[in-house]
Amino acid sequence: MKFVNLLRKELKEMLTPQTILTLVIMVIILSVAGDAMSGVVEDAAEEISQITICDQDDTEFTRSVIALMENPGDGVQNEVTEVELQSDDYAEELERLDTKSLIIIPEGFTQQVNSGQQAETIFVSQMTSLSTMANISTGSDVALSIIEDAVKSALYSDKITEGQLTEEEISQLEAPVTISETTVVGNKSADVSATILYSMCQMQGMFVPIIVYLLIMYSSQMILNAVSTEKLDKTLETLLSAPVSRLAVLSSKMLSAAIVAAIYAIVFMFGMNNMMSGLTMGDTSEYTEVVEYLGLSLSVGQYVLVGIQMFTTILISLSISLILGALAKDAKSGQTLIMPIMIAAIIPYLLSLMLDIKTLSPVLRFIVYAIPFTHTFMASENIMFGNMTIYWGGLIYQIIVLIVCMSFAIRVFTSDKIFTMSLSVGQKKNKRQTRSLFARK
Amino acid sequence: METQSNNVLEVRGLSKQYKKGVYASQDVTFEVRKGEIFALIGPNGAGKTTTIRMIATLLKATEGDAVVAGHSILTEPEKVRQNITYLPDEAGAYKTMTGRGYLEFMAGIYADNKAQAAEFVKTGCEICELGDRLDDKIGSYSRGMIRKLLLARAIMSKPALAIFDEPTSGLDIINALEIRRMIKDLAAQGMSFLLSSHNMLEIEYVSDRVGIIAKGHLLEVGTPAELKEKYNTQNLEEVFEKVVMSNEVC
Ligand SMILES: Nc1ncnc2c1ncn2[C@@H]1O[C@H](COP(=O)(O)OP(=O)(O)OP(=O)(O)O)[C@@H](O)[C@H]1O
Ligand SMILES: [Mg+2]
Repeated sequence: MKFVNLLRKELKEMLTPQTILTLVIMVIILSVAGDAMSGVVEDAAEEISQITICDQDDTEFTRSVIALMENPGDGVQNEVTEVELQSDDYAEELERLDTKSLIIIPEGFTQQVNSGQQAETIFVSQMTSLSTMANISTGSDVALSIIEDAVKSALYSDKITEGQLTEEEISQLEAPVTISETTVVGNKSADVSATILYSMCQMQGMFVPIIVYLLIMYSSQMILNAVSTEKLDKTLETLLSAPVSRLAVLSSKMLSAAIVAAIYAIVFMFGMNNMMSGLTMGDTSEYTEVVEYLGLSLSVGQYVLVGIQMFTTILISLSISLILGALAKDAKSGQTLIMPIMIAAIIPYLLSLMLDIKTLSPVLRFIVYAIPFTHTFMASENIMFGNMTIYWGGLIYQIIVLIVCMSFAIRVFTSDKIFTMSLSVGQKKNKRQTRSLFARK
Repeated sequence: METQSNNVLEVRGLSKQYKKGVYASQDVTFEVRKGEIFALIGPNGAGKTTTIRMIATLLKATEGDAVVAGHSILTEPEKVRQNITYLPDEAGAYKTMTGRGYLEFMAGIYADNKAQAAEFVKTGCEICELGDRLDDKIGSYSRGMIRKLLLARAIMSKPALAIFDEPTSGLDIINALEIRRMIKDLAAQGMSFLLSSHNMLEIEYVSDRVGIIAKGHLLEVGTPAELKEKYNTQNLEEVFEKVVMSNEVC
């Protein structure tokens, strides 16, 4: 009985409206992410059945291969669009043709097939993001298997009419084509497979968001604790009644938190850099140059751009947590006040890890872009893939948010709002309870 | 202004509404002279802290004004802050600092130069009587030790007006007595004090004049002797009771 009483009390204390709200929000995030992801998977499936192909060989054999790609039998239907290339610049061609991937049957293809060699095809694909879901559809394997099947069938029906297959011809049928891959990143392209690029950059794609997330949480928590304990211990009253400017009190707090956060950032960057170079050394080192050429590794100037956005983000979270810290009424509410920042950071964090935010539906994208932290999670990716408009737009938006939050924080600190403002979610309920207690009497 | 230079603090019609229409303190008027100890006494929620915080420039007054050492809290709050120290009710200190570190930190804010700061710290260390414990972390201090440290901090810079909200709360009788004696000594040297308290006995002993405040209204101001005579009672507690009762009847 005593235990049940105790348990009930503990549960009541832990299952506060804040905890429940957190749960609800987690469910919402996860289901939104789930929806968005299933969309991506569907898109990927669709993209594979929509094949863009350029037939530079243009023989009877290749035409029959393409016909077989369209209609491989068993009732399967692929949508094959035949196109003409106007130049060798694959980046430009993909943009002109408005497609993310392209299969090229080069001149001499039929000749190679006829002479019993493995015939060469080219697969050009575009890489737009480092997130997991965006890269499941890069499908050179799928392209290979489709064209391989088509070539096999064409070859088979050709040869079988000539009678018995020789041993050589049978071994040719096992692997009639090879694919040489070209990957387009931004406005550059290189002869390397998207899968290799992705696996090389995956670390970066995973760790940049983790660092951003940790930085936001660390610096907010620091300043929120600093402000709320100062308020609750009344050391803030002592300080603000002393002959020192309030702006100095405020800015010293923010600056020290920003310095600590910057130290964290630098240490993390170094650690991450070491770890990544440790991981990518070895057999992939031959690709390092390609990665650099494609802009998938950041130059010093680009690191600075990422740094600027990170710093802006830290300042935003600092000024918001200053305001939140001022709202604290007791130690417990001080801790739960971090929640809005946590939610605003965790949504873009998870989304950017899982999928390419640029490809979300317009409404979702608008909502996610409205969270100022989103732009930081996307910063290094945007820079890598040359989406500079999105980068600058995000930065300008963040600066506007920063100015608004900062001026509000300054207003709170320089007026007496810091002492009169308070927020305690559980309080209203308590009041109602005491009232009903009296009413019963 | 010259004619009133004897008053360190002049409070004129000071009012505060946290919510529109609800006065936490209303039309409070009194003054504190140089070298005087003035105490606001009243029950919980009377508006003592509210009034004191307005004078300490922490809260903006809804109406009225207060002048500290010739400077208005409305127009020259920075100048006011140079002339006061404020000790909040139930205040803490930075737990990770040592007692000495805290005194040094606060001295750095109040002093104009290093020599003066060192002097403040020396005075502060003497007043708080923490001895060896001064070099321990404040987190390890008892409530009473923290209170003494904070009092030492508020006194060490010898401000024109020291504002103490419940100065002896959390202190034992011996320490409370000591603090009262110290306040009296410093007042004799020309420092002025604005105190608040529930403890009528303490107030009767320490203060030169008292103001009785209830529900935001300052109901009576006078020396303890004057008030006892006026209400024909033995002690301040009974005066207080009569003042509050008679005003509730009206
Ligand atoms: N930040 C605030 N917001 C709203 N109302 C407040 C606030 N602070 C105080 N009050 C109200 O103002 C009134 C006066 O409070 P105040 O703290 O000045 O009383 P007090 O005389 O210091 O009481 P105590 O002896 O308990 O310290 C009370 O009714 C209180 O509820
Ligand atoms: Mg009070």
